[in-house]
Amino acid sequence: MNCKDWEERIALSAGGDLDPALEAEVRQHLAECAGCRGLAGSIEDSLTLLRSAHEEPIAAGHYAAVRARVLDRVARERRPWRRWVWAAGLAAGLAVAGVFLAMRSAEKPKVFVAAVRPRVAQEVPVRPVEPVAATVPARRPRPRRTVAPRPPQPVEPLVVKLITNDPNVVIYWIADRKEEKE
Amino acid sequence: MTALASPAMAPPLDGTEAATTMVEAARSGDLAAFDSLMRRHERLVLGTALRLLGKMEDAQDASQEVFLRLYRNLGKLQASPNLAGWLYRVTVNVCRDARGRRPEETSVEAAAELVSPGADPQQTATRNERQRVLRLSLRLLSGQERAALVLRDLEGLSTGEVAEILGTSQATVRSQIFQARIKIKGFVERYFRRRA
Repeated sequence: MNCKDWEERIALSAGGDLDPALEAEVRQHLAECAGCRGLAGSIEDSLTLLRSAHEEPIAAGHYAAVRARVLDRVARERRPWRRWVWAAGLAAGLAVAGVFLAMRSAEKPKVFVAAVRPRVAQEVPVRPVEPVAATVPARRPRPRRTVAPRPPQPVEPLVVKLITNDPNVVIYWIADRKEEKE
Repeated sequence: MTALASPAMAPPLDGTEAATTMVEAARSGDLAAFDSLMRRHERLVLGTALRLLGKMEDAQDASQEVFLRLYRNLGKLQASPNLAGWLYRVTVNVCRDARGRRPEETSVEAAAELVSPGADPQQTATRNERQRVLRLSLRLLSGQERAALVLRDLEGLSTGEVAEILGTSQATVRSQIFQARIKIKGFVERYFRRRA
């Protein structure tokens, strides 16, 4: 077994992942091989560096931000009825508006006539006016519009052309649409 | 909304019993209990999502989704005492979906997102450096390698737990973390050799 074959065991030994029997073999080899001792030392050093970096505390604000976001979402998820209330209110409002518009359009327009009595500020002497014969043109009755009946349009028969696989065979189906109406 | 209790006012419960109590209270509509449940597991969810996705903004979106799923599944969690395992599984799935929708940007180097305000500048530089190495090295890994390494080496779960969360065998997980560790070691060596 050359040193390359020891690499995996040494790497696992550096993290304490070997069973005792294999661990003892690795220890024995390390005692005899300076190159593998260097490899084991390098792996242990790099793991120590990574662990020390990982153990450094994360700023408390990062945790607090996550908690706040989660609690906000949870609070929203716990109150689904609020969304239903909003939706129901909106639907009711739309229904009322629809009914109101429908009633307005159904009503006939009413004409309100206001009788206004003009105020007179002061008495003005009025000269007597000679009566003049008023000529009001007689109102002509409007001619009623009559709609002339349309002449019957010729109805073309319905033609369906069926094309078969054989180019020499074409099937025509003609249906009289006037008969259908009757 | 129900008034939220501050964590200082929450009863001093711990372990599975406390989580079960919180789940029961949250299920009955107690938002304060659900808030406590989130506080209890937020490091697990956001920290894992950040390593799987690489960006704080994406990790926050994923965490939000995970906690919403938790809320919606509170009724089903009664028979599942391993809430942490459930959360890891959902986090991995949500992050997998998120990565599928939006591939990770390679040009953005937002290392300052983990820095708390008021930190010492010298210390900040070192932290930023470490965060940068972590983020860049995780980008080298495939999705499965990344998930296996994050859960096993960064979150400290056992190989069996990782296999259960990822829905695979322990042998597959071991193979994935072996590959991932070799890639990470190579990247870290190259990174610091270049910087030297």
